Amino acid sequence: MTTDELLAFAESLARISAAGGGPKAYASHLAARCGGAVLVEDAEWHHLALAGAGDRSVPATARELVRQAKHEADGLVHLNLQGGSHGIAYPMRAGDAELGWLVVLALDGAAADLAPLVRLTASSIAVDLVREAGGAKGRRRSFWDRLLGGSYDDPAAVRDDAAARGVAVAPSYVAVAVEAEGLDESVATRQLSDVRKLCLAHLHHPSAETVTIERAAGFIFLVPTPLPIDAQNVALAAAMLPKHAAKAKLDISLVGGVGTRADDILETARSVDEAREALVIVRRLFGVSRVGAWEDLGLYPLLHRGATREELQRFADRTLEPLRAYDEKNHTELLRTLTLYFTVRQNVKTASEKLNVHRHTVFYRLRQIAEICNRDLDSAHDQLALRAALAIDALLG
Amino acid sequence: MNKRDLTRLIKESSVRFLRMQFVDIFGITKNVVIPVAELERALDGRITFDGGSIAGFARSEEVDMMLKPDLNTFTVYPWTTEGETEARLICDIVQSDGEPFEGCPRTTLKRAVAQVHEMGFTLASCVEAEFYIFQRDEQGNPVIGASERGSYFDFSPSDVGEHARRHMVATLETMGFHIASAHHEHGPGQHEIDFKGADALTTADNVVTLRNVVRHLALERDLHATFMAKPLGDSAGSALHIEILLREGERNAFADESGERSLSPTALYFIGGLLAHAPAITAIANPTVNSYKRLVPFWDAPILTVWSERSANSMVRIPSERGDDTRIELRSPDASCNPYLTLAVILAAGLDGIRNELLPGQPLAGSTYDLSERTRTERGIRELPHSLREALVELDRDSVIRGALGDHIYHAFREAKAAEYERYRRAVHPWELEEYLTLH
Repeated sequence: MTTDELLAFAESLARISAAGGGPKAYASHLAARCGGAVLVEDAEWHHLALAGAGDRSVPATARELVRQAKHEADGLVHLNLQGGSHGIAYPMRAGDAELGWLVVLALDGAAADLAPLVRLTASSIAVDLVREAGGAKGRRRSFWDRLLGGSYDDPAAVRDDAAARGVAVAPSYVAVAVEAEGLDESVATRQLSDVRKLCLAHLHHPSAETVTIERAAGFIFLVPTPLPIDAQNVALAAAMLPKHAAKAKLDISLVGGVGTRADDILETARSVDEAREALVIVRRLFGVSRVGAWEDLGLYPLLHRGATREELQRFADRTLEPLRAYDEKNHTELLRTLTLYFTVRQNVKTASEKLNVHRHTVFYRLRQIAEICNRDLDSAHDQLALRAALAIDALLG
Repeated sequence: MNKRDLTRLIKESSVRFLRMQFVDIFGITKNVVIPVAELERALDGRITFDGGSIAGFARSEEVDMMLKPDLNTFTVYPWTTEGETEARLICDIVQSDGEPFEGCPRTTLKRAVAQVHEMGFTLASCVEAEFYIFQRDEQGNPVIGASERGSYFDFSPSDVGEHARRHMVATLETMGFHIASAHHEHGPGQHEIDFKGADALTTADNVVTLRNVVRHLALERDLHATFMAKPLGDSAGSALHIEILLREGERNAFADESGERSLSPTALYFIGGLLAHAPAITAIANPTVNSYKRLVPFWDAPILTVWSERSANSMVRIPSERGDDTRIELRSPDASCNPYLTLAVILAAGLDGIRNELLPGQPLAGSTYDLSERTRTERGIRELPHSLREALVELDRDSVIRGALGDHIYHAFREAKAAEYERYRRAVHPWELEEYLTLH
């Protein structure tokens, strides 16, 4: 490569920078120049940009490729890829801090010739990232990181900081955690992008923007929920995501969890924890292609986390409260009927004798109980929740 | 049915007169009676009428309207008029140049059904129609509220009203109706007749025919049948419950065994659409000032935008049958509504729910009448309009429902109903005289 060629390339990078820059723009320019696929990832191996992939096989992340390869003294990393092709990677740095990696894959020609171009491009992206860290995107990201990291202890401080960073915050959110199963390594980046788009198309509220937080194998979505019914609708919409994914022929399975509504902005982190916990439980109990709400998982979250006495009591109260309220208001005995029904091993005839009512009345009450508690009495999972709530209430109540 | 079959049937049935039937925008049946000698002209759609004389139909520059008969609606009336056999054909209204008239309710429903088909669905609907039967006095005037006072007739299920209803059902069956059931309703002298499922256009045609047959046969027995929404202040009003079932190919599009409550996303979206557009739908489904005296928290009338699986007073109810029989019932329309327009706006609301993925939240358990203000707020539940005036304001705000009606019907309907409300507002009602005349 001649000095003139190198100078021309440097000038073109400067023009990109003057036009607004951005990892995608630099990656596209480099990809066009070298003919390979260019992947840009941040220091935590989060995806920043991909260009020039075409029909090529590009992994979701270059983390393992870079870690396993030999690192040169000047920082350059030569990658040997499957199928005989090769690539190079170069760290993007600001001083001693590593901001991420610029990776060029599927090169047919000599990688050494391209090294200066890769180094120049990595430097340009590094400048851009440092500038961006102080820009709108960086400010947004650090706000959500701080909120979910528990850095605030006052809702007013949250709103002040959000306003200072130019971040619009809804009064209340529900968290939805989604991960994709069965990703094809060669097109994983595109598949994850499709998953993100699909989820955002279904998890939204007209009042404010849905926040997307990338995680290693998926996403956390914070969906605005001004009213409790909006939280119900988020859970309904999230439960449909696997079907939408199948309909859209994404060739992957989705698994996910939905947290409860954060009445207070400071509780958003709790909703995220619940969503992630629900995802883990759903995956273990039901496998893939399912998104479950933490609230509907009954006893399982308590078993999963090893609940305290107070948490158990809160679970029992939350589960049985609708029946208690209904009984009190309508002078019925649904809670007694449910307790007895389980005590007599779900024998309706025996229950009717003990309650001194016709068995049709017991059936009627059981339908009422199912409707009021939003539980299916024929479901083993729902039965477990109700039986456990009754037992906890008897022991601790 | 083609023209040749119809001509043969008319000859075989010795039909003397043919009623070319249509409805105005208020759902009131109109007809042009022609002798069979004019049959060919009628079947060619060359029967004209003065549209300017029909409320809400024509602006001054488009007075001449033509009747385009739907041959599949041909029915011979199982009674004679002064010894002459009559038949009827239900017609679409077309302009003098043969183009569909945008003020025709039947055409409006056809447009809504076409959208259902465009989205890949077919549709079945069925209705439960409620009505009252009253006695007449010696001058032939209906005696309203007689049974409550106990001095005229007792309308128990074994009375003259019961016999009349049985006769009505038998007559409708001879006319080819598929009646699912018929029974006495809550109110004294109140009855209900339920149809089996049919396509939307047939369902609306059937409602109009049912009203005509019921009123005709009641008159024959010196009774008066009314589909007024609320004839008796202290008894149940008369509803027109409408059930909708969408299919995608052979599959019930509302059913999904693995879905929430065995309902598919399509069903939940359709319900969400109904709830979202409920206030504006009310203007069409509850079209008189009297309609709003039915929408009160008594006798299981819906008053809130709520869905439920079992609550009888929810606005949208999901009957317990699932799988291939899964369907969605709207319980707010009353018996006085225009069934063509009501079905059109129901479909528009449901399809809007599907297009925009409007979700309805969880269903409500128990009665909707005692919901606290807090629960209503948390669940985004709205009250249905309290008056025709409020409903018209909601209609003005809802572009989806207005779009389903089309500009002509929306403006004509709105203008007529605003005037109706104004007449009502200016009238001094008997209740006011009873309450205030001696007090002040």
